[in-house]
Parts: sequence; C-alpha cells; structure tokens
Amino acid sequence: MSLRYLARRLMTAAITVFLIVVLNFVLFRMMPGSPERILLGRTPNVSGEVIQATRERWGLDKPLFPDQFVAYLASTVQGDLGFSFGGGSRGRPVTDVLLQRLGPTLLLFGLGEVLAIILGLALGAYSGWRRGGILDHVGNGLSLVLYSTPYFLLGMGLLIVFATGLGWFPTFGISTVGQSYAGPLDQLGDMAWHLALPLATVALGLVGQYSILMRSSIVETLSEDYVTTARAKGLTEGRVLRSHALPNALLPTVTLIAINLGYVVAGAITVEVVFNWPGLGTLTVNALSSRDYPVLQGVFLLLSVGVVLANLIADLMYGFLDPRVRT
Amino acid sequence: MTAPTLPGPAALSLQPVSRQRFGFLRELLRRPSGLFGVIILAIFTLLALVPDLLVGPLQTAVTATGPRLGPPSIEFPLGTDELGRSILNLTVHATRISMVIGLLATFITVAIGAVLGIVSGYVGGRFDALLMRIADFFLVLPTFVLAIILTAIIRDAIGTGSREIGGIRLSLLVIVVVIGITSWSSAARIIRSQTLSLKERAFVDRARVIGASSSHIMRRHILPNVVNLIVANAVLTFAGAILTETTLSFVGLGDPFQPSWGQLLEAARSTGAPGLGAWWYFVPAGASVVLVVFAFTLLGNALDDILNPKLAGRR
Amino acid sequence: MTTLSAAEIRGRRQWPLPKLADPTAPLLEVRDLKTHFRLERGWVRAVDGVSFSLADGEALGLAGESGCGKTTTALSLVRLLPSNGRIRGGSVELFGIDLVPKSERAMLRYRWREISIVFQGAMNALNPVTRVADQIAEPIRQRLGQSDKTSKRRAAELLDLVGIPRKRLGAYPHELSGGMRQRAMIAMALACDPAIVIGDEPTTALDVMVQAQILLLLEQLRRDLGLSLILITHDLSVIAETCDRVLVMYAGRVAEEGPVDRVFREPRHPYTQKLLGAFPNIHADRRTLEVIPGQPPDLVDPPVGCRFAARCPFVMPVCTEVDPPEVRLEDGVRVACHLFPPSGDAA
Ligand SMILES: Nc1ncnc2c1ncn2[C@@H]1O[C@H](COP(=O)(O)OP(=O)(O)O)[C@@H](O)[C@H]1O
Ligand SMILES: [Mg+2]
Repeated sequence: MSLRYLARRLMTAAITVFLIVVLNFVLFRMMPGSPERILLGRTPNVSGEVIQATRERWGLDKPLFPDQFVAYLASTVQGDLGFSFGGGSRGRPVTDVLLQRLGPTLLLFGLGEVLAIILGLALGAYSGWRRGGILDHVGNGLSLVLYSTPYFLLGMGLLIVFATGLGWFPTFGISTVGQSYAGPLDQLGDMAWHLALPLATVALGLVGQYSILMRSSIVETLSEDYVTTARAKGLTEGRVLRSHALPNALLPTVTLIAINLGYVVAGAITVEVVFNWPGLGTLTVNALSSRDYPVLQGVFLLLSVGVVLANLIADLMYGFLDPRVRT
Repeated sequence: MTAPTLPGPAALSLQPVSRQRFGFLRELLRRPSGLFGVIILAIFTLLALVPDLLVGPLQTAVTATGPRLGPPSIEFPLGTDELGRSILNLTVHATRISMVIGLLATFITVAIGAVLGIVSGYVGGRFDALLMRIADFFLVLPTFVLAIILTAIIRDAIGTGSREIGGIRLSLLVIVVVIGITSWSSAARIIRSQTLSLKERAFVDRARVIGASSSHIMRRHILPNVVNLIVANAVLTFAGAILTETTLSFVGLGDPFQPSWGQLLEAARSTGAPGLGAWWYFVPAGASVVLVVFAFTLLGNALDDILNPKLAGRR
Repeated sequence: MTTLSAAEIRGRRQWPLPKLADPTAPLLEVRDLKTHFRLERGWVRAVDGVSFSLADGEALGLAGESGCGKTTTALSLVRLLPSNGRIRGGSVELFGIDLVPKSERAMLRYRWREISIVFQGAMNALNPVTRVADQIAEPIRQRLGQSDKTSKRRAAELLDLVGIPRKRLGAYPHELSGGMRQRAMIAMALACDPAIVIGDEPTTALDVMVQAQILLLLEQLRRDLGLSLILITHDLSVIAETCDRVLVMYAGRVAEEGPVDRVFREPRHPYTQKLLGAFPNIHADRRTLEVIPGQPPDLVDPPVGCRFAARCPFVMPVCTEVDPPEVRLEDGVRVACHLFPPSGDAA
C-alpha cells in the first residue's frame, strides 16, 4: 500500500473525527436556552451543587469560543465526557457508563456483522452468478423484504415465535436472572442461549442489504471483458467465479458496507431494546427518556468514532485487495 | 467514497413532454415491480385520505369500547390494545400520520438535496468540494443517533407542548425537519453528478453565451432535466423516511396523540405484547411499514431502471 | 522465408490432439453458421449463413464494418456467446469434430487448448487484481495439469517470447503500457500451444507505432510456431500486410472471400470495391470505412435479397428479390453478388 494512500486515509479519518467532536459541541451549546438546561435536560430535582459543578466543569461562565470549546476538546481527548444525569446511572462518569455497555453491543453487532457479511456475500454472489434462476428470484425478493423491515420489528417477530410461542429461547436479557452457574462454560452457554435471538435478528436484518449489494456487484463484474477472457481460457464456471469475478466484485462491496455502517448500526441498536440486551442501544433509549444528554452525546461520539474507524479499516483492506491502490 | 455516477436520462429529456410522460407511465406499469408499487401506493393513499370514513374517528382511552388486549374477534377484526381501542382503527389512522410525515420529510430531504446538488454541481470549485465533503461526512455519520439527539434537543428547546400547525402536532413536525436535515446527502450527490454532466451539454453553453444568469440556467435548463432523477430519488427517499420515522417513534420520540405506525409498535413493545403473545397488536402496523417500504423500494428501482437504461436488468 | 508444411505443423504440437480428431480433416471448417441474438423485438441475425475454412499455418483476415458480425463469428467458434446469443444452424468442425452440438462441459476441452483469443483493448481483457504472469500461468496449470512451478516457468518463457522484460514478471496489468498489455495478452493466448489464435482487433486501441510492433510480433510467432491465425479488423491495410486470405463480411453474410493478392488487386463485390476504392493507397488512410454512404440494414428484419442492395451503385431489380448465391470463381475467389451468376445459369 502506498504511503500516500495510507496518509490520505488517516488524514480523512482524523478530520472526520474532529468534525464529529465539533458537531457534538455545537449541538449542545448553540441551542437556545441555558446550556445547563440542555446539559441537564429535564432531570427533575437537580441540586444546586450539581448545577454549579456543571457550570464549572464546562466553563459555562466563560465565552463560548475559544474557552468553552477548548475546555470541551481537552476533556474529550482525555476521555472525560462528563457525568450522567439520568436514570439508574445518575452521577456516574459517562465514560464508565459507556464502557460498561460497550461489551454487550460489540458482542452482538460484531458477531451479527460477521454472520451477515458471510451469509449476505455468499447469497448475493450465488444469486448474481445464477441470475434469473429460482434462488435469484426468491433470494432477491426476500432480501428486499428484509431490507424493508425495521430491525426491531424483525426482533419482535422472532421473539413472539421462538421465545413466547415455542419457548426455545429466553425473552430478554443477557443472562438468566438469579442463576448460579456450575462453571464458566455453563455461564457461557447461558449467554449464548440469550444471544441467539438478538444475534439472528441483527444478522437477518443486515443480510438482505449485503446480498443486494453483492449481487449487483457480481452481475456487473460478470459482464467485464476479463471474465470473458477467463471463460475463453476454458476454465470451469466455478473457477471463473472464484478467481476472477469474486475478487473484483468484492472491492466495491467492501467500501459500500463500510459506508452503510453508520446507517445500519444506529438503526440496529433498536434490537437491543426489544430483547432488553444491556448494550448501548438500551442505554440510548433510556437516556433519551430521561433526557440524559451527556450520555446521549457520549453514545453519539462513541458510535461515530467507531464507524469512522470501521471505514478506515475498510479503506486499508481495500488498499490491500486492490493492487491499483496498493502501488 | 464517491457515490455511483448515474448516466443521465438524456434520451427521455429530448422528447416532447406529453409523449414522454405517457410512455413513461406505460413503461412503469408494464413492469411487475412498478405495477405492484403503484397498487400499494393507491391503497395506502386511500387509507390515509379518508380514515374516518373507513373506521370512524381515532379512538382514545375514553372512547375505547373493547376488552383489554383482546385477540381478533368479529367486533374487533384486528383485536384491541391495552386500553381497549380497536387496532384496526389505530392502524388506519396511523397510516395517515406515517404517510404525511414520510411525505413531508421526503419533500424537505429532496428539496435540500436538489438545491445543494444543482448549485454545487453548477458552481463547482471550492464550494462544490466543501459541500461534497460535508455530504460525505453525513453519509458516514450514524445519522440515526444524530436524529435522536436533534429531535430531543429541538423539542426541549422550543417546548412543543400541544401546538399544531396545519393539523399536525409540532412534535411530529420536528421529526420531519430532523429527517430532512440528516438524510439529504445521497440525493445531493446523485443530483450533483447529473448536473455536472448537464453542464457540459450544448444547450447550457448556448444559454451561457447569450448571457443568461447562473440562477436562470439552473432553474430553466438544469432543473427540468434532473426532474426525472429527483422523482426516482424521492420515491426511494420516501421509503427511507418511513423507516426512519418508524424507528424514531419506536425509541420513544413518537406522539401518542397522533400515533404513527412506529408509535403503535412502541406501544406494543412497552406493553409487552411480544412476550404476552399479543401478535395482533404489532403485526398490522408492522406489516404496513414493511409493505409500504417494500413497494416504494420496488417502485423507486423500477423508475431508476427506466430513467437509467444503462443499469437496466442489473437488479 | 521457410514455411512449415501442414504435416510438420501438426507434428510440432506439444500436446495431443482431441481424441476424436481426424488427422486427415482440415483444421477448421465452418459451414453455414447462423448465430442470432434474442431480443424482445425478435432475433438479431448477427451471423447468418457464414462459411469458411482455415488451413494449418494459414492467416485469415476477417474484415467489414463495425457491427457486421466479425466478433460474433469468432466467439461462435468457441461458443462464448453472450447469454442471449445462440447458434441456430450450421457447423464448426475442428479436426473434423463438430463443436456446435457439444455440451458446455465438453466445450471446455477446446477452449484455449485448440482455439485461443486475443481480445480487443487489453486493459479490460486482463484481470486487474491478478499479476499478469499468474494470469498467463493459470491455463497452463488448470488446463494442461502442469505443476505450479512448471507453469510459472513457462509463463516467464512466454513473456520472454513476446518481448516483455523479465523484471516485469510481477507486474499487474495497470502497471504495463497498452502495448505491453497486448503483448501479455498474446503470451497468454499462446500458453497452451493452441492450433488457432484469433485476434479480435488486437491493435485497435494502440497508437500506430505500437500497432506495427504488435503485428510484426504476431507475424513472427505465426511463422516460428506454425500457428493458424484469424485476424479480425476493420483496417484492411493490416490484413494486406499480415494475411494469406481475406474474408469480407457484410451484415452477417460473406460478401467476398479469397487470397489477399487476388481480392485486393481485383475486388469483385461492389462492397469490397467500395471498401478498397475508398483508399487507393492502403497505407494512406486507415479510417476510411465510414465513407460509404448509407447504413447497414436492421439485422432483426433484414431485407429480402442482397443485404447490400440499398447502398449498392450497381443495384439491379433481381438484387432486392433473390439472395445472391455464393460463387467460386476460377482464381479461387468466392463472391456473393448477382453481378457474378453461377456459371451454370449463364448458358
Ligand atoms: N448480446 C447481443 N444482443 C443483441 N445484439 C447483439 C449482441 N451482441 C452483438 N449484437 C449485434 O450483432 C451484430 C454483430 O455484432 P459484432 O459481432 O460485435 O460485430 P463486429 O465485431 O463486426 O463489430 C451487431 O449488429 C450487434 O449490434
Ligand atoms: Mg467486434
């Protein structure tokens, strides 16, 4: 990978993160009404000390720029995102609250993404390759329906059938309440059991889009001249697909999946709400209902930076996969 | 990170308008996906237009007559909610709310996208570069979380209360605006690339030579030639807006006094309908969302195919 | 100039002939080939009754305006048609084996090992994410069952043969110039030591100097390796310089076919005359085929009779009523034109 490519990508990512931080600052300071009111939201019974602490903490007595902005930037860089004002986490540092919820979300979405990417790319590649076949028609229709379904709705459907109806899976949480485990393996099994439905929801929700992306990419690739060359070489269709069409079709897909991530992750956090999964999604909804703005701000920052990082990784992967960029 | 450059509807825009429109509609109805989209559009438009004629006025906790969380029966074909209201009644009325919000949000999104796209593409230079940077930024951003925060902040800041504008509660109008300002970027990108290619065409040059002003050229020469693209994009945007509104309502930003599909789904979840096996509570609203989004996605793709023949058959 | 005899050429083959091959049969015999494309409004008769043959070591030029069916003819030989294309009649006999009724699976045996193709515009014909040397080695390994090492070594030899420096061995297509890519494409076409190499406008996208180099290379390889060559081009001067025989196509049919020196010196078909008359000095201007006024006919619904009638300066009533029969004249030239009636009828 050329150094210039690498440098440019890193630069873009850094600028984007900076813009996100600026946006976050602007969002919460430029609004009408006193900043304390925005920062503290509708939290009832806020004590005078808390208000005073907030004013000092954010430098609210000083001018907006540069003082407040610099103070904000400095504390953000240090990982200090203020204190939660809502619900059960009142008074705790936002960073702590976020970190506590990050694990379950990463588990759910990391696995969900991986599953969806593998399944979606395979399905899309196959149906694009056998364009016009039965699997193509069925798969295409199904992909579009899945794409049209909000993630949480899919979750509610799976929940009512497989948890409430058939009783195969638990209806909520990450572990059985009040359960004592015989060993770590036992505990892991319990978690996997709780994970199954939310994971299936996330994966199913994503698989449609990925399959649509991959299908159109492979269809486009199959009409390229080098695929005709590969066929002219007398290679079997399978080999034409594997060594010529697929490596090329993957390139645009990698980028598109990464770009869509911001859109996808945010919508998919609603799955957590359906299953009461103790991750960033439920945190967001709880924070929203108690207008816990520091936490909302923190979630936005964390997710944005996560998405930017994922895009950076995708760019680097692209550079690795495509020699035209690499050299 | 460049959005796909769509080739222009050059062939279409050169034909006289009437024949073009006619052929266009026939072409659309000839495709199964186009036909399906138009039929679904017609059905839901009817539901949205005259809900009172079909199921009576919106039921409230006071006017509810049914059992609590009752399953479908002859009297209540789609069952009742936890307050005893008819789900059929609620879902049909929600159709109006969801469709109106979707429509308004689409309008704002596409308007922002079209203006920024045309100006950006036509003016070019630094302005264009900056605007496209911003569009890229919005494309990558988790816009949904941004929308949640924006909605909450704006509502807190202006204190929505129970005010209405044109029969729509202010709280919902906030959602409309927020969807608009968080989802214009892809429309802007597509329209910009079309503008770029139009800019190079002879008739724009001619207009420039005879001294037409930039704003005149953009309104009279560029805009009419991107209208088709805007329409196709608007149909897809509508599907996205319905999804976004539904999800925003689901996380608690809906308005219980003017329930949309998403608001019903939120009510169903917080009542614990899935855990209680009360499928009738969320299946009608859920199916409506899926059906409308599905139909509009098909319709948008069909329009896109017709407007961009080069891409035809690739879907 | 030492030309190898047919027997010598077949004796030089490194790899065995197909099992069913008849050693006495001509190398390639195409009879009444009809390849059509299915569209909503009907079948496009892109190739509609084309016959020709190719002998061992011979170079045949395929000429005609863009869209007359040259590429379709070439692709039909190895049945690499687009999904809406179908061979609806005729036969393609290679060593006496008819390839038309073969299954897709059986066809694989003939592609590249017997007939390979150098496509136009090598930028897209080479896979952009694979090293050129690996693309050359691929058919050697996959089709001839050679080891990884052998195929790599053979690929390097082939790159030598076409004049690509050793140090470019690890290059990707985008790192090579247009001429180099076309050389690599030729090396790839030679990988399995095929009996026939088809060049479909192999020099079209290149500048004149590079064109000449590539043609020289093809000429040299043909002589040294005893290849048979089908060279498709709409540039008649290229055929004049490189080929033994020329086949002029018009709207999916053969207009005229014969030895290059005969056809070029004394063109019989009015279309050939127009083509050649358009540039008396074949070196003067290379882009003159558009000069003939009028358009070729719609191939979905071609006119009755001669397809060139609408543009022909010598058109007669019979031309728009009866298909002109193909007539073989005594100097070996075959022509399909009512100006040259079958000798039997003349009496
Ligand atoms: N896939 C296809 N579908 C329909 N028509 C085609 C297709 N491919 C080629 N044709 C038509 O067949 C005719 C011959 O094309 P081609 O063999 O590519 O001509 P040439 O190589 O001589 O330029 C042209 O009229 C072309 O439009
Ligand atoms: Mg051709």
